[in-house]
Amino acid sequence: MKLLNRIYIALLGVGLTATLNACDEKLDLSPANTIEQSEALLTSQDVKSALIGAYNRLGVSDLYGGRIFLEPDLLAGQSAIAWGGTYTGLTQIYSQSIPTNNTFVSNLWISAYEAINLLNNVLGSIDKVDTEDRDRVEGEAKFLRGLIYFDLVRLYGKAWNDGDPATNLGVPLVLTPTSVIDEESYVSRATVVAVYQQVLADLTDAKVKLPASNSFYANSYAASAILSRVYLQQGDYQNAANEATTVINSEKYQLVDNFADEFPYPGAVHVDNTLEDIFAFQVTPQQGSNSLNEFYASSDNGGRGDIEIKSSFIAQYEEGDERTSVYYDDAGSTRTSKFDNMYGNIKVIRLAELYLTRAESNLRLGTTIGDTPLNDINKIRTRANLSPATTVTVQDVLKQRELELAFEVGSFFHDAKRTEQSIGTLPYSSPKLVFPIPQREIYANPNIQQNQGY
Amino acid sequence: MKKHLSMSLLLVFTLINSVLAQTQTVTGKVTAASDGSALPGVTVLEKGSTNGTTTGLNGEYQLTVSPNSVLVFRFIGMSTLEIPVNNRSTVNAQLETDQKVLDEVVVVGYGTQSKQTITGSTASLSSKDIAETPVTSVEQAIQGKAAGVFIQSNNGKLGQGIQVRVRGTSSLSASSQPLYVVDGIPITSENLSGTSAGTNPLADINFNDVESIEVLKDASAAAIYGARASNGVVIITTKKGKSGASRVNFTAQWGTSEPSRHRDFMNAEQYVQTMQRAGQGAAVQDFAAGYFETLEEAQDYYTSYVNGRLTRYSAGNEDWLTGAVNTNWEREAFQSASQAQYDLNFSGGNDKTTYYISGQYLDQTGIIVGNAFKRYSGRINLDNKVNNILNIGMNLSFANTQNDRVANDNAFSTPIQIVALSPITPIIDPRTGLLSGSLPGEASTYPVYYNPLLSVDNASYQTNVYRTIGNIYGQLKLSESLSFRSEFGLDQLNQNENSYYGQLTFRNTGTQNGFSEDGYTQVLNYNTNNYFSYKNIFNDDHSLDVTAGMSYQYSKTNSNLVQGQQFPSDAYRQISSAALISEGSSRETQYSFLSYFGRANYIFKNKYLLTASARVDGSSRFGSENRYGFFPAGSVGWIISEEDFFQDINVLTNLKVRASYGLTGNADILTDGQINNFASLGLFSGDAGYNGVAGQRITQIANPDLKWESTAQLDFGVDFGFLNDRLTGSFDYYRKNTRDLLLNVNVPATSGFATQLQNLGKLYNQGYELTLNSENFIGEFRWSTSFNAAYNKNRVTDIQGQVLGTNDLNRVIEGQPIGVFFGKEYAGVDPANGDALYYLNTENSDGTINRATTSDYNEAENVILGNPTPTFTGGLTNNFAYKGFDLSFTFQAVAGNKIYNGGGQYMSANGSNGFDNQTADQINYWNQPGDITDVPEPRLWYGNGTAASSRYLSDGDYVRLKTFSFGYNLPKNLISKFKMQKARLFMNAYNLFMVTGYKGWDPEVNADYQASNINLGVDFYSAPQPRTITFGVNVGF
Repeated sequence: MKLLNRIYIALLGVGLTATLNACDEKLDLSPANTIEQSEALLTSQDVKSALIGAYNRLGVSDLYGGRIFLEPDLLAGQSAIAWGGTYTGLTQIYSQSIPTNNTFVSNLWISAYEAINLLNNVLGSIDKVDTEDRDRVEGEAKFLRGLIYFDLVRLYGKAWNDGDPATNLGVPLVLTPTSVIDEESYVSRATVVAVYQQVLADLTDAKVKLPASNSFYANSYAASAILSRVYLQQGDYQNAANEATTVINSEKYQLVDNFADEFPYPGAVHVDNTLEDIFAFQVTPQQGSNSLNEFYASSDNGGRGDIEIKSSFIAQYEEGDERTSVYYDDAGSTRTSKFDNMYGNIKVIRLAELYLTRAESNLRLGTTIGDTPLNDINKIRTRANLSPATTVTVQDVLKQRELELAFEVGSFFHDAKRTEQSIGTLPYSSPKLVFPIPQREIYANPNIQQNQGY
Repeated sequence: MKKHLSMSLLLVFTLINSVLAQTQTVTGKVTAASDGSALPGVTVLEKGSTNGTTTGLNGEYQLTVSPNSVLVFRFIGMSTLEIPVNNRSTVNAQLETDQKVLDEVVVVGYGTQSKQTITGSTASLSSKDIAETPVTSVEQAIQGKAAGVFIQSNNGKLGQGIQVRVRGTSSLSASSQPLYVVDGIPITSENLSGTSAGTNPLADINFNDVESIEVLKDASAAAIYGARASNGVVIITTKKGKSGASRVNFTAQWGTSEPSRHRDFMNAEQYVQTMQRAGQGAAVQDFAAGYFETLEEAQDYYTSYVNGRLTRYSAGNEDWLTGAVNTNWEREAFQSASQAQYDLNFSGGNDKTTYYISGQYLDQTGIIVGNAFKRYSGRINLDNKVNNILNIGMNLSFANTQNDRVANDNAFSTPIQIVALSPITPIIDPRTGLLSGSLPGEASTYPVYYNPLLSVDNASYQTNVYRTIGNIYGQLKLSESLSFRSEFGLDQLNQNENSYYGQLTFRNTGTQNGFSEDGYTQVLNYNTNNYFSYKNIFNDDHSLDVTAGMSYQYSKTNSNLVQGQQFPSDAYRQISSAALISEGSSRETQYSFLSYFGRANYIFKNKYLLTASARVDGSSRFGSENRYGFFPAGSVGWIISEEDFFQDINVLTNLKVRASYGLTGNADILTDGQINNFASLGLFSGDAGYNGVAGQRITQIANPDLKWESTAQLDFGVDFGFLNDRLTGSFDYYRKNTRDLLLNVNVPATSGFATQLQNLGKLYNQGYELTLNSENFIGEFRWSTSFNAAYNKNRVTDIQGQVLGTNDLNRVIEGQPIGVFFGKEYAGVDPANGDALYYLNTENSDGTINRATTSDYNEAENVILGNPTPTFTGGLTNNFAYKGFDLSFTFQAVAGNKIYNGGGQYMSANGSNGFDNQTADQINYWNQPGDITDVPEPRLWYGNGTAASSRYLSDGDYVRLKTFSFGYNLPKNLISKFKMQKARLFMNAYNLFMVTGYKGWDPEVNADYQASNINLGVDFYSAPQPRTITFGVNVGF
């Protein structure tokens, strides 16, 4: 055997030794774009980042990116809007015939509980937050959790005033973080009362713990404002008026001079909250989404233009009402410019609603908590460049509410429910006006009961 | 322990090395027994070794061998001859012509094996089966040619995703594509597209460089690839040079493509009539719902609304009243597409070194406007015999592909969605003289949707891939029977995706003033194989062939993306000119496999065959507890025709039965269509910022118990040859049981997670495969036929009672095939009122099914509506040759499947879902009480009958003339004057015609934006296959 061959074989031996040593640790690879959960919530900063993440998750298009407000309006706003889009799931909602596999109904549910789990993770690790920030972080998390549960129970459960809320089913209440899928994951639906109680508990706690000022995040007035909306939905007019008064009297917010200025559109760019905005989900080119723009705005303004405003609705504005300036003709189609800025924030609640809530509550109670209904309604009328009214009825307030808040927060649907108004030929209590529990959830969890009519 | 092992290995080699060698030189001449002519290129081997050479031009050879060795003379088309040397210095050989090609050597995992002694199930294809097919990628070229290998393009776009299924789909949430091994190295084959329309990394390979393709189908053949092999293994071997004179081969072909089919849509008159009728239908419904006081009011509203829209879509004039404009938009989506292809290769070598060098330029235009594909590729394959014991070599290929792409099937800008535009809309807007939808003008509401033609000139989307696949090897002959081979391979893929959408595309992008994306992806994938091969024959009767070794693979993917908006003008297209940088990201992911494998083939008396193999695979994708998987397989075979009692049977000349059983695995977990390398971990992601403030979110729930998905496969086969092997074939039965499915299981979304990846569920594939090859005529007129047919039954047997699925109708349900269409059963139209009806299909108290109908979609039960995957696939190839002429064609067929027209809810919606133009059949809508039709009453925006149902299902069976080629070889005496060895003129055709009952564009379809293991058989504005005809010339020197 030649020497050369021995060298080859020796080299082979060396090579083999090297490769066989290349062993098990070669299989220990870690992700680079994500981190393991065991490393994610260790410090105060980590928990605060998860809270920011919760704003992000609640701002997706299926939730406060706009569809959580758009979809109820599609279901109940046929007198004001004409749907002309090709998303079959939304056509089903507009035609009040929602199959249980409707993707929009399903995605809203999935996205909401994803955000809730993140909020529960924040609250579950709240003791890791620095003491000086702990109340604020807890307050924001509870505010957001109360807000989303309130919208969930209004969409997937019967109205508070429809039958017995103590036995009617709401949505499952999940209040602890999920670390494993086990038997406890197979939850049942809580009653409407139980969900409202949780909403009130979270928002009340948030109101106490949140500071009065908190940049574009939720502050204590945001909690009061949403509480006012919850109480109104329940017909608890006293508390609704009280909470509205708390916000109004703070003088932290004011109605902008011109109605159209509440919907600024200096170009497709992010705009900070207006003086009137109490709480809004922030939209920038990088983060957040504006699904109201997607469906209401013309394609000139980055939307699909799937929704037109019916002229019969615009005819309800009084002569000279400046609020008609947010409607325009787009080649024969009437559209609203409220959402023309594709990077405009999604307003969750603004001051005008609280005047309207307080006026209605005081009228119904015969009280003047905070101010008289006439003064409150004239704040709205005057800003709209209308002459002040001399008398006011509940019907007047409801009409102003419809005209003022149209398309913004799902009020066609939610107001019809609490005032028990028929929608077309359907009574407010029709099972067709309640979202089905998504079919995928029924399949995945045998403990979930489907709604009546599905 | 490991160190000890390597020390002892070293010791073993040293011992082996001490075998003494004594040699002598043998020369001789090889001739053909028939006419005595010299045979150049015959392989002469010292039996039982890799020591060999090939004969020169005069048929002569010289080889140094041991004095009592046996020489093996092997030449394609001749029977192999063995002659003992017996101390002679001259050994001449005469080779007999042989039709029996069974004894060819085929490539198997980590080695080669005689086809006659293989006990596994494989499909073999050679270069001549695929050469010069006018397609983009190798899978398209073998479509219909391998039994049990189902190949389906998603659509007719170039370089796009292709579904390949070997013996059915054996996974739900993990990849079902086979493992691709090129020259021993697993290559990157997963989709890397930045959009939901997948691309095909195999399109980077010039398949004219391919010498052979082996598809390993059963466990015995594939289990040596263990955890990677559940979906079958495709082994591609590229061409090598042969010693002897240098050869030059040049081929050029040019041709054109057109869509293989068109679809008919309404003309202007029909469209206007249907839309007006839809308005009236909606008025009746609105009035009934209480939105109008009187019916007249509702009718007036809709008349004005619809006529207003018709005027709008008629470019603002009233031409729609007269039918003056009648645009057939469907035709505008297509173009006549030219293509050119040039291939040049050099091969040759001497006793020491052989080479194969090739280059290709391929330039294809798509039948879809805006679609094109170019490939520049080169290859160098070198093999060198350093000395008696060491061989080294390399295979290196490099390619640049440029794919001008169009948007996914679900985008308004994808050309086929142009069919939604109204026939009353002119192509050129008379108000501006520009393309309809251009600015200035009412481009945001006219035409009815974004005009995809605007993207042709105002947008670009190019994917550029630079791909280098190379490997080097060294093979050391440690003794006559033992050798060691070490391979190191690298597959490096650099991809740039660059898109620009100009100002006129704002209606599509939602962005004024331009939008651009630029992203790079780099995949580094390296692999080393190190293994011993031992081959020996004991006492003449016992043949043993053992392979054992290890392999390690590591792959890392890095990518980044930047997105910009707001450009000064369309002249600026680089993101440095964007006023707004709207997105930027970078990503990294990686995985590794560490594997040990072994295989032993034992043959007794050349007729009793036994193979055992095993592989241990470790993967970074699983937690430390479940990291390693063990995948054994065994098989037996009996060559009955070698038995003495068989020798009197003259008709049946070859008969072998075989059986195999074994386990293979799958670890290619997919999340949203991308490989998920960290599926077992609970993960947070930092991509959840809010108004510029950083945030994190939870993206995945942990499952530390996650482990391999495994498939146990049983195979019974018989190989046979009749009439001196003029007719050969094989028949296989198999059953693949897959368990511990890597499944994205739906969990209660209230947990915060919609799905969790679990090992849950079982499914099986069971089927039969038949392959027949016959030489119908031999001699001056030659005719041969290959036929293959396969039947596969796919059933999901256990997913714990769940129903999975995300799109309209494809579901996974126990007892049904994967992706079964499940939904409402359409029952036609109520003659009384035009309502769409559905069968209730509820169960009566006596257990019978209630076949009454309902107009309430939600009231109807979901039922099984059909299978999206063909149960039968087959192909038939005929080759003819007469004098200089040759003719070859392949029919390909599928049957047993249904196709769902996902676009039906828009294009065949009886005018009930907006102003989309409708397919021509919708004119048969219900108009008045008593009408009998299956097209419901048009009711604008009321979606009458448009929800997903069996209304949009059709049979997907088809038979297609897939490839056709006709050639003429110029006479030798003519071309030899020009020093040419070969000159062939040819014509190739692809998809020349098809027989099908499907009414859409093409039954070979799977909507690209949603294609997955489960989402199957969906047509969604998907482009048809091209019909291509090329003419070319092939010359050899």
